[in-house]
Amino acid sequence: MGSFKRKSQEFDNTPPSKQLKQNDLLGVACVHDVSYPKRYVPSTSTFTLPKPAKEFPFTLDPFQSEAINCLNNGESVMVSAHTSAGKTVVALYAIAMSLKNNQRVVYTSPIKALSNQKYREFKEEFSDVGLMTGDVTIDPNASCLVMTTEIWRSMQYKGSEVTREVAWVIFDEVHYMRDRERGVVWEESIVMAPKNSRFVFLSATVPNAKEFADWVAKVHQQPCHIVYTDYRPTPLQHYIFPSGGDGLYMVVDDKGKFREDSFQKALNALVPANEGDKKRENGKWQKGLIVGKSGEDSDIFKMVKMIIQRQYDPVICFSFSKRECELLAMQMAKMDLNNDDEKVNIETIFWSAMDMLSDDDKKLPQVSNMLPLLKRGIGVHHSGLLPILKEVIEILFQEGFIKCLFATETFSIGLNMPAKTVVFTNVRKFDGDKFRWISSGEYIQMSGRAGRRGIDERGICILMVDEKLEPSTAKFMLKGSADALNSAFHLSYNMLLNQIRSEDGHPENLLRNSFYQFQADHALPDLEKQAKILEEERNSIVIEEEDSLERYYNLLEQYKSLKRDVRDIVFSPKYCLPFLQPGRLVCIECTKVDVDVPTFSIEDDVTWGVIVNFERVKGLSEDDANKKPEDANYTIDVLTRCIVQKDEVGRKAIKIVRLKDAGEPAVVSLPLSQIHSLSSVRLVIPKDRLPSEVRENTLVKISEVLNRFAKQGMPILLPEDDMKVQSSSYRKASNRIEALESLFEEYEIAKSPFIKEKLKVLHKKKELTSKIKSIKRAMRTSTALAFKDELKARKRALRRLGCITRDDFVETKGKVACEISSADELTLTELMFNGTFTELKVEEMVSLLSCFVWQEKLQDARKPREELELLFAQLQDTARKVAKVQLESKVQIDVENFVSSFRPDIMEAVYAWAKGSKFYEIMEMTPVFEGSLIRAIRRLEEVLQQLIQAAKSIGDIVLEAKFEEAVAKIKRDIVFAASLYL
Amino acid sequence: MRGIQLSFSNTQKLRLEKALAQLESISSKVNSNATVIVADTIPVDEDAALKGHGTLEMGKNVIATVCGVVERVNKLVYVRSLRARYKPEIGDIIVGRVIEVAPKRWRLEINFSQDAVLMLSSMNLPDGIQRRRTAVDELNMRSIFVESDVICAEVRGFQHDGSLHLQARSQKYGKLERGKLLKIPPYLVKRRKQHFHHLDQYGVDLIFGCNGFIWVGEHVDVKDAMVEDQVNKPDPQNTNSASLLGSSEEPTYTPLETRQYICRIANAIAVFSALSFMVNLEAVMETVTLSLSLNLGVHEMLEAEFHVQVAEQEAERRGTSSRRK
Repeated sequence: MGSFKRKSQEFDNTPPSKQLKQNDLLGVACVHDVSYPKRYVPSTSTFTLPKPAKEFPFTLDPFQSEAINCLNNGESVMVSAHTSAGKTVVALYAIAMSLKNNQRVVYTSPIKALSNQKYREFKEEFSDVGLMTGDVTIDPNASCLVMTTEIWRSMQYKGSEVTREVAWVIFDEVHYMRDRERGVVWEESIVMAPKNSRFVFLSATVPNAKEFADWVAKVHQQPCHIVYTDYRPTPLQHYIFPSGGDGLYMVVDDKGKFREDSFQKALNALVPANEGDKKRENGKWQKGLIVGKSGEDSDIFKMVKMIIQRQYDPVICFSFSKRECELLAMQMAKMDLNNDDEKVNIETIFWSAMDMLSDDDKKLPQVSNMLPLLKRGIGVHHSGLLPILKEVIEILFQEGFIKCLFATETFSIGLNMPAKTVVFTNVRKFDGDKFRWISSGEYIQMSGRAGRRGIDERGICILMVDEKLEPSTAKFMLKGSADALNSAFHLSYNMLLNQIRSEDGHPENLLRNSFYQFQADHALPDLEKQAKILEEERNSIVIEEEDSLERYYNLLEQYKSLKRDVRDIVFSPKYCLPFLQPGRLVCIECTKVDVDVPTFSIEDDVTWGVIVNFERVKGLSEDDANKKPEDANYTIDVLTRCIVQKDEVGRKAIKIVRLKDAGEPAVVSLPLSQIHSLSSVRLVIPKDRLPSEVRENTLVKISEVLNRFAKQGMPILLPEDDMKVQSSSYRKASNRIEALESLFEEYEIAKSPFIKEKLKVLHKKKELTSKIKSIKRAMRTSTALAFKDELKARKRALRRLGCITRDDFVETKGKVACEISSADELTLTELMFNGTFTELKVEEMVSLLSCFVWQEKLQDARKPREELELLFAQLQDTARKVAKVQLESKVQIDVENFVSSFRPDIMEAVYAWAKGSKFYEIMEMTPVFEGSLIRAIRRLEEVLQQLIQAAKSIGDIVLEAKFEEAVAKIKRDIVFAASLYL
Repeated sequence: MRGIQLSFSNTQKLRLEKALAQLESISSKVNSNATVIVADTIPVDEDAALKGHGTLEMGKNVIATVCGVVERVNKLVYVRSLRARYKPEIGDIIVGRVIEVAPKRWRLEINFSQDAVLMLSSMNLPDGIQRRRTAVDELNMRSIFVESDVICAEVRGFQHDGSLHLQARSQKYGKLERGKLLKIPPYLVKRRKQHFHHLDQYGVDLIFGCNGFIWVGEHVDVKDAMVEDQVNKPDPQNTNSASLLGSSEEPTYTPLETRQYICRIANAIAVFSALSFMVNLEAVMETVTLSLSLNLGVHEMLEAEFHVQVAEQEAERRGTSSRRK
């Protein structure tokens, strides 16, 4: 819509004069676009409201007034801007407008804590505000309701009157939709939302905001505006701090220019990691960061010191694990950033917040250890903290009493809590299976905390780098675009049952309207184009004598596959095991240099080595032990010449090369399939093979043998005569090989000098063809309804478990599963119907249920006592049964994975908690974070509430009472201490 | 004779008895000795059993509190009562009659042991616009429903005080007009996925309320083009807007033919109910076709001969379907 000059900025009450000069240089642009549904005729008359529903005491930013104009016209809007840009203004306006019109408004956020904070914020602004999260419900009849998205979804399934009265629905942090686990909740809620309400979507910057708006417009048949801005109220400067170095290097200035030269300087200042491998022990990357070299301060200490000296505080230091967060904070032990006045204040605030805790809870180590740290102006913020501590720290941070906060990524979402400086202690993040670079989207989100509007002239981002990184990687990380908003839609049984249960609900409808489907439909033209390009490329490849070449090519392929077959037979354990004695010379394949380029010669690239040992591969499943020796998998250890390389992550890559090539002698484990042939020669090999010279000597010996037999060729164990291979398939295959070999002679083309090149070209052509085929297949699947097959399979599973009937009627069992949305619904239902809960004592039952809500894996968790262990085994049996039914119904599921997703780690602790133990007592039982345990118990209570509903629906009063008793037993003390924000 | 109040001739009696006996022989295989009466002990194998509706734990025994058939799902034991009043379950589609307009709510008779409550806030406004919470709304409640209106709604749930709350999820719920309300024993209506049926060939809407109230009425078309609506089915009944706007704009009357079809379908259901057969769409449609093929007048459907014929047809139908299994 054009760019606007930003006139003044009074978000905070500081004189604007200071900013004016700088802001004049900056164009503050925002993009405004509208998506109309098909066949929609926009009304031309934009009636203006006589009076805005809410006046703000400051001049609105262009994007804010743009968005508010849309609201005034009664049309939905999607606002995509940085965290600090002030999206809340739009939400506030929407609320004010609805309240003025006596209509209801719902505000949803992804996180309970955020809901609490927003509730407080709105409550101060408007009085008619209610809160609904899984934990608390306050005034559910209020006109403005703050809730988590999950609650909003279940409200829609149950059909609350709110859905009939809500005029505006505000989805905050809607980019959560790409969350792998929970994202689907947003899609469900948006698809099912009342047709006549309007929406406000607040999201971080996403490049495909238009696509999202198109989807909303299509699903709800209403126009949806997009207001997008990249604008940050305070510009950012990005620095790099090389580990071991002692200075900052500005790599991106506040105009967004990447400075190549100082980036190089920064990398040169990087002190080479002298400890090499030791540093990477236990997957810890930051040894140097945490420990520091002896006698010297650690990097983080130096860094914080520098920040304080330069008055860059307050600072948020992001790291990616809870433990690391705490360790880093411990490094700051020597530092004191607060004066005495502040210390007194902190202590007062701290103890007045802790007042609601019982005396025992006040003595918790986490509580008592935190205060000294806080008094010195240092804070820690991660999900492992007690919720109450987390909130105190947030408050202290907002009040400016904490100068240096060590936080995890979670701190980067939600309420406005900016600092002057943001430090990334790490450039890599562990994402479940490997360390990867921080994505540019994550970087944007976290760096959004830098720069306080109206206070700081600019925000500062510091990246601590401890290894060389390419300028392109760095550029991508620092200056890349935000992550796209992609659908993470998936099906769940609870969703299906709820859909099937309601008279109008059709799971197919939900699928058809999902963002996933929309994106798939969208991608179709792209795929078509891709296929076209590939086809053109294929057609442009012209080969002379293509026919005969192709025949030759096919022949070669056939020959190769036959050879493979023969080898598989000969070197199956059954035949070759007796010959794998140590010392036998063996011919093995060299590791191919480039896997992508296949070789076309009949000759194989082979080398020789000597067998050291052979070993049976231990399978994952236990029934492996029952297998006959012939069927098991084996590997042989071979001494040969290799090139050993270490890649960045520290994994060794071993390449087998020819004996004459350079490389070190090493023992490698190979699968049997890599044997080319066995020789009849055996060498005496030395017992002690550790010294490199011994190995080298052995290799020399091998070479000698090879030379001796160079003329007549190595004596090889003949399959039929020596190895007694007597199988008809072997004979057949070897006959065919002979026949093929004679055929090769007939090909004139094979004698052409360019045959290899030609074959390569042909191979490329074939690859292109197969690529085109796979794209076309993808096109076919996306035109069909996404998830159609999975839907069928899941319905089948539900039928087999007796949850629904053939004609889609939800049975008693299904109705129970409908109620359960906070844990695995099928397993829990199955357990319930098997009477497991009926037999158990309340404490045991609670303990068993804890397995449903605990997902973290603990390495050294104590095993629960025998009775509980027994219960857990029962749960595993049930889970296995459920998983198997799903598998039989063709649902894609890994049975063992599913079974092991239930963790017994906190059974003992929860048992004790239900028995009435104090919190510090149960903390001693498990090596988990306080916050994690509290979250688990709170979720457990949620599950129990759902089970109460379930028991009601089957009419078992005794069981219902039992669940209620369980709730009463666990809902007490610190675990359910009310939020400070309420 | 299942208490049928009709005069049968001797042959008719014999034929009916035969058909009923045939039906009994088919059904008896399904639930033998699972029927209980009040205070009967229900055999339960283990302690772990879940005691569902219609059961009570007395000492070590589980006893029945209603007459009915014992049903078991895994270890859940419950008694499905026969011939009882309607017992609502969440999500049931029901048809009811307004008996009182109270503050912010309507009270409905739905054949349950108490009256159901339909809150104003649980009701869609005409044209589906979002409600505004004003007092005017409450004053206008009578423009939506008045006493003795017939309404179709969904069971939303029980409040803490035990009262039953209804809701209208979408436009197809609401006032029913130009049709006939039948009351049959609720146990003859089986809960299914679909309770709304639009009989295209007759231009008739048929709603099987789970509470045994069945609505047969003229088909009401959707006026507003809600394209691809997730909530609205292709055949929603836009009764509200019709009733509000209708008085002036639609002076049309239900055509005679449609009225006859309505009566014919209603009578078919009445016959089924008299014979105590489960009522479902297929059976009703078959009966209507039968009456048409026999060229019977609408009133003749209620005579003894037709009852016998329906019984025979039903016996045959169930016979073949059970044989097919």
